[in-house]
Amino acid sequence: MITIRNIRKSFNKETVLNDISVDFDEGKTNLVIGQSGSGKTVLVKCIIGLFEVDEGEIFYHNRDIVRMTLRERQALRREMGKLFQGGALFDSLTVEENVRFPLDMFTSMTAGEKRKQVDFCLDHVRLDTAHKLFPAELSGGMQKRAAIARAIVQNPRYLFCDEPNSGLDPITAIVIDKLISEITHEFNMTTIINTHDMNSVMEIGEKVVFIHKGIKQWEGNSEGVLTSDNEYLNDFVFASNLTKKIKEKL
Amino acid sequence: MKFLQPLGSYFILMGRVLSKPEKGKIYYQQTVKEIVSLGINSIGIVIIISIFMGAVITLQTRYNLENPLIPTYLIGLTARDTMLLEFSSTIVGLILAGKVGSNIASEIGHMRITEQIDALEIMGVNSASYLILPKIIATVLFNPILTLISMFMGVFGGWAISVATGALTSSDYIYGIQYWFVPFYITYSLIKTVVFAIIITSVPAFFGYHVSGGALEVGRASTKGVVASSILILLFNVILTQLLLAK
Repeated sequence: MITIRNIRKSFNKETVLNDISVDFDEGKTNLVIGQSGSGKTVLVKCIIGLFEVDEGEIFYHNRDIVRMTLRERQALRREMGKLFQGGALFDSLTVEENVRFPLDMFTSMTAGEKRKQVDFCLDHVRLDTAHKLFPAELSGGMQKRAAIARAIVQNPRYLFCDEPNSGLDPITAIVIDKLISEITHEFNMTTIINTHDMNSVMEIGEKVVFIHKGIKQWEGNSEGVLTSDNEYLNDFVFASNLTKKIKEKL
Repeated sequence: MKFLQPLGSYFILMGRVLSKPEKGKIYYQQTVKEIVSLGINSIGIVIIISIFMGAVITLQTRYNLENPLIPTYLIGLTARDTMLLEFSSTIVGLILAGKVGSNIASEIGHMRITEQIDALEIMGVNSASYLILPKIIATVLFNPILTLISMFMGVFGGWAISVATGALTSSDYIYGIQYWFVPFYITYSLIKTVVFAIIITSVPAFFGYHVSGGALEVGRASTKGVVASSILILLFNVILTQLLLAK
């Protein structure tokens, strides 16, 4: 479980996050939604510790990352996996080497054990024939899947996904969503997904947090998103003609 | 006082670079890779430039010493001392600042904008140390070898052009390069090379590591890295020469 309390973050006197408090549940897919520029990415980067918060507390099972030393943070981060928007696979390494990298760096596993773990993760994301390919040789969806395999190779307790569906066609996007949801439940991880894709919200949103201009406006589940009376959330959810028509039929 | 900010950031980054590596074996493998990429792959350009510079220094000295009172073997001495004192360390340092420096800044800058550095941090890897320390170690270990190669090839270039053009005889040239030889000049040159190696890698790495934006900013960081490291090489050349050679 990740608990954040009264987080504030500014850049050059412009407030990006304003007094946000949320509990992200263990074993669930927690979605942070909002328009571009609403502060979603900054929030996730603050939670991970890539940005320092101006005020507030962030607890990982009662361990406050805000007050940790760099070494302590590095140790905590070994319990995290992150799927970046662009995949962030290392260009100079093959898919297999990318996935194996955290194991090489932090474990004393034998070569055989590492191979077994890498194969397990790549099988899980249905990339069992891409071991020797370089990131540049993969499609967008395959890159995301390889990045998921790398993120879960150390069995993390916390998984962060930044816009996992960006740049993907709707079918591949659903595959990636389902994969993340499946992994979250299988390994009982606390997963935080940062998205503005309503399909993702409806497919896998067990807990949904809506942010507007740096302020938490609403929290609930995917069903509540459609019936909420929050003005900002309604503007966001029912922005397209298609969703407006759906609302009329509700 | 604003100029002190990047200086402070540079030393903070170097503090992170020099912290204890997570896994020595991985760093050792990275260092070997960097020796190949930054050192061995630079041998060709160092050889070519040194041969031509040695040849040009010899021809120019010959042209300017057209005096019957000055013995011709001094041409060999001049070529040798120019290569040992200045060319093989400083000029090769400047050339490598362009070749290696731009490579380092653009590689690390690209990793920054594509979030590969963030990915390392999330894994719990000290990205500064993992990416920069092997490069510094590789150049500190290998650039002195490049300097020695440059010295040898420059002196050889001078001899080859002397024989080829008849500017002076082979025996005069060889006598000249042995005459009044000061071994400390090699030590002096190697000390400079080590300092320049640290500058060539750490300064462009600093600019690449702090890139934000897109491809355009990566290009700018690469240029800034090369310019800053070239200026620092020239500055430290003066400082080290005063410290090591002044009487």
